[in-house]
Amino acid sequence: MLESQLQNLAASAGERILAAASPEQLEAVRVEVLGRKGAIAEFSKGMGKLTAEDRARAGRLLNSVKNELEAALEARRKRFADEALQARLDAEWIDVTLPAPGPRPGTLHPLTQIQQELEDLFTSMGVAVLDGPEVESEYNNFDALNIPPDHPARDMQDTFWLGEGLCLRTHTSPVQVRGMAKLGPPLRMIAPGRVFRNEEVDASHEHTFYQLEGMMVDRDVSIANMLYFMKTLLSHVFGREVTVRLRPGYFPFVEPGFELDIQCLICGGAGCAVCKQSGWVELLPCGLVHPNVLRQGGIDPEQWGGFAFGLGLTRLVMMRYGIDDIRHLQGGDLRFLRQF
Amino acid sequence: MKFSYNWIHELVEGLEASPADLTRLITIKTAECEGVEAAGAHFAQVVAARILEVEAIPGSHNRRAVADAGPLGRRTVVCGAPNCRAGIVTAYVPAGVFLEGREIGRRVVDGVESDGMLASGSELGINRDHEGILELDAEPGVPLPHIVPDHIIEVDNKSLTHRPDLWGHYGMAREAAAITGKRLLDPVRLERIPPGAAAVKVTIEDFQLCPRYSALVFENVTVRPSPLWLQYRLEAIGLNSINNIVDVTNYVMAELAQPMHAFDADKLSGDTIFVRNAREGERITALNGEAYDLTAASLVIADGSGPIAIAGVIGGLDSAISDSTTRLVLESANFHAANIRRTSSRLKLRTDASMRFEKSQDPVNTARGLARAVELLEMVSPGIRLTGGMADLAAPARTPAPITLPMDWLMRKLGRPIESAEVRSILESLMFGVSETSPGVFSVSVPSWRATKDISIKDDLVEEIGRMVGYATITPTAPVVPTKPPPDNPRRRFHRAVRQAVAAQGFHEVYNYSFLSEEDVRRFGLAPADHVAVANPISVDQALLRRTLIPGIWKNIRENSKHFDQFRLFEVGVEIHKREGGLPDEVPHLAAAIYERTKEAGPFYEVKRLAECLMPGCEPRPGSARMFEHPFRAADIVWRGETVGRLFEFHPDFVEGRAVVLDVDLARMEALAPVEKRYQPVRRFPGSAFDLSVIAPRRALAGDLRKQLASFAGPQLESIVYLRQYEGSPLPDDAKSVSFRLTVAATDRTLSSEEVGATRDAIIEGMRGLGYEMRV
Ligand SMILES: [Zn+2]
Repeated sequence: MLESQLQNLAASAGERILAAASPEQLEAVRVEVLGRKGAIAEFSKGMGKLTAEDRARAGRLLNSVKNELEAALEARRKRFADEALQARLDAEWIDVTLPAPGPRPGTLHPLTQIQQELEDLFTSMGVAVLDGPEVESEYNNFDALNIPPDHPARDMQDTFWLGEGLCLRTHTSPVQVRGMAKLGPPLRMIAPGRVFRNEEVDASHEHTFYQLEGMMVDRDVSIANMLYFMKTLLSHVFGREVTVRLRPGYFPFVEPGFELDIQCLICGGAGCAVCKQSGWVELLPCGLVHPNVLRQGGIDPEQWGGFAFGLGLTRLVMMRYGIDDIRHLQGGDLRFLRQF
Repeated sequence: MKFSYNWIHELVEGLEASPADLTRLITIKTAECEGVEAAGAHFAQVVAARILEVEAIPGSHNRRAVADAGPLGRRTVVCGAPNCRAGIVTAYVPAGVFLEGREIGRRVVDGVESDGMLASGSELGINRDHEGILELDAEPGVPLPHIVPDHIIEVDNKSLTHRPDLWGHYGMAREAAAITGKRLLDPVRLERIPPGAAAVKVTIEDFQLCPRYSALVFENVTVRPSPLWLQYRLEAIGLNSINNIVDVTNYVMAELAQPMHAFDADKLSGDTIFVRNAREGERITALNGEAYDLTAASLVIADGSGPIAIAGVIGGLDSAISDSTTRLVLESANFHAANIRRTSSRLKLRTDASMRFEKSQDPVNTARGLARAVELLEMVSPGIRLTGGMADLAAPARTPAPITLPMDWLMRKLGRPIESAEVRSILESLMFGVSETSPGVFSVSVPSWRATKDISIKDDLVEEIGRMVGYATITPTAPVVPTKPPPDNPRRRFHRAVRQAVAAQGFHEVYNYSFLSEEDVRRFGLAPADHVAVANPISVDQALLRRTLIPGIWKNIRENSKHFDQFRLFEVGVEIHKREGGLPDEVPHLAAAIYERTKEAGPFYEVKRLAECLMPGCEPRPGSARMFEHPFRAADIVWRGETVGRLFEFHPDFVEGRAVVLDVDLARMEALAPVEKRYQPVRRFPGSAFDLSVIAPRRALAGDLRKQLASFAGPQLESIVYLRQYEGSPLPDDAKSVSFRLTVAATDRTLSSEEVGATRDAIIEGMRGLGYEMRV
């Protein structure tokens, strides 16, 4: 009798738990059934009248019903929680393709990039990076580099004169003299920087461009050493093995002086428009440091020797990125600069 | 400089290298060739032809001519030349030949079919005469006498700067002979100069400026056009044919690199040629028709009445060779290179002569030039006669000491082994004198044409041997050097970090020129006189050196605002500040800008954020604005107690929309940047936070309020953070409320609420003491 009542209660409570449509309804069912004044509590009050034996049996039954209902309640609650979480997550849908706020990353100028890359390369080769001023004395820019006044070689570099024996440096070579005085022999140095030539500007000529001067002074420095150094450098710059050749070139601060050509990277030496069918592209001037220049740097040419070179960074940037108009580089146009 | 392949070929016995090969060899071993081009290829097909009949074409200025072209037969051509007449022999160009890049055809002109053409000297590239067709002395059907196809090798003048000898074909032929192992043929026969007293006297004032002056006097001269072969040879290398006499001087110059000048002897006054400095106020009208004022710094050639030539640069008009000339003085001299160069730059007059002299020509060459000229003049001016021997005044010849060349030193420089015999043979092929003074040591004497400037030390010989043995034979070899880290360059590292940080904030790097115009600097309230000025600017708008990056950045903003509504850009570059006596100060600066087209608040605080990223803890300190700055949006940037830069918005007169700039002195910033970092113990006890609002005048600075609050908070203040500010009701119009969150804590305990309250009260009390109303 008691048992059947309990089973009826359990059955109807179970149904109501399942039927609860919201956490609130579920709570109402819980209060009605399992609350302090709920059906189960009522039922257990009635158990006082039973015999001890019946009471024990009814107690076990009651406990099992209670556990059953609590488990059902818990399951139902969890279901509601899951649904609520699911609903919240669903409501939190976002359009992941919307743009992120804040500025996009900026860019470094291509000349900065190539310069930093080369600085890193040289530094890894144990080479010091030096600076020199953009305004130089005529003496440092010419005389100290074995180009005395009225020397025809001064024609090779159209100069912006500033009066009082000053000029805008026409090359980074004056840093050779500064570097020798600063570092003393033996030394390995580079000096990238801005240089100036008094030239009309067009697609391939600029009055302002960038060079990287290099110099090594040691006990015995040979043309063979210079070749090795340049080949290593250029292979790194172009990201592949390059073939180089030297031919005579005249620069008063080196003796012997060379033009260094690389085998055309476009045609591999077979001849094409870029190399004017010669298979070679003129890349940089270099040479063994002239004894007069070593002396200017306070270095005894009988004890020491060296090589020096001047790499055109502007030209390198143009080659690397296929830039066909040199004026872009100092035009300040973000439509151009953003690309790097 | 243009070189005729044929000419070189004449001077090198058995030269087999093709024009292209010779060009390549010269490039690799001697000097940079810019190219080689066929010249006069049409002369393989052009023939002499006798004009048989000429008749007018009605209604045309052209005429119909029938010419006998020998084996080619009779050809009918239409010809417009005024000298086209029956009986003359002229040049006939058959159809199919290319002339000046255009194919000569068989086509109908004025109703007449013209088969090929009759050509002028200009059309054929023999001279510049386009007045009429050539008139020849030749048999019909034969090729034009002594005129054959050639190749012109163009050599970069820069690569000849140190080689006075290569400014003539003989010098290049000497190289070709040495490179190919052939024999050089000397065109000069010195014995053509007769012995005996000269018919002209020469005095030289300063032998340093004129180390040698040689001259010959000729009589019975006929001045007339040069033979065509001579015209063609000069024309092919870009020299204009003038007349037979002048052409000979140019021929000798082009062959031997020795400039020469011919004076009409009858137009000279007195019998002495003076080589002297010009007197102040002297003036000369030169061959080019221009009058030049001379100064004492210029060397002139003068006769008894005044200058007759600017030495080494150009001759005078009055004494020039003319059709009536019958006697001439032929000058072949040597001048001081730097002096010629100075004169020619001062007069802005560069001539074929001055270009050669400024390279330091060989004094030995003067007599050789005259000897060669004697021979040529006899060819082109039949009946010409020398009067007397050579006038020849020279400083005592300087024989430079031989150069000592140790073999082991040479090999160390080259970086490859080489046999003594090979060194000797190379040097001898270039006509150096070589003797082995002790085993492995050569004594090398330098030929006169290399000794003026080019070669004086053993390093110069490394080049001679290196280029001839071939640089390609040198194997790249790693230098043996100690491996150690290079000296640091903190400045560069610092600039790199700055660039990286700025770019990371969305700024694009620009490079601007160092040049500004006067207008540019005035626009920014600066005086042009305070700038370093370029004495020879390309144009007036590039005449001053920038002492601020702002004008450049301003231009960048203006230009880019045409394409973008907003952008960020920056530059790292040097300001150039004038300094009396010595190099200017070059101060590295960062200038970074954000532009927004908006009229709204604008990007001021975004740029301020950049300043704070670069210089944590820096503070803007409002100061009086410059004329291009927004008067109420400009501040100095103070960092670690020093003013390091400026943060400002452009005045609306300067930029439409809003543009905010941060301009930082990177040298100062770098000096302040290093900070030794010390660990502070992490506070173990929690702090207590409370908010305070200060009612302050509207333009009171939040930064000041913050500092004042902090000063009353005492050592327990852990942080003070700005929260917000408020203006409007119920506050009075000229007031605002600024709220901060303060956190206080102790290192050894959790503060009690009484302690926190006491600190808070002290702050409120303090602020009220300063006259602020506090909202608590
Ligand atoms: Zn190629």
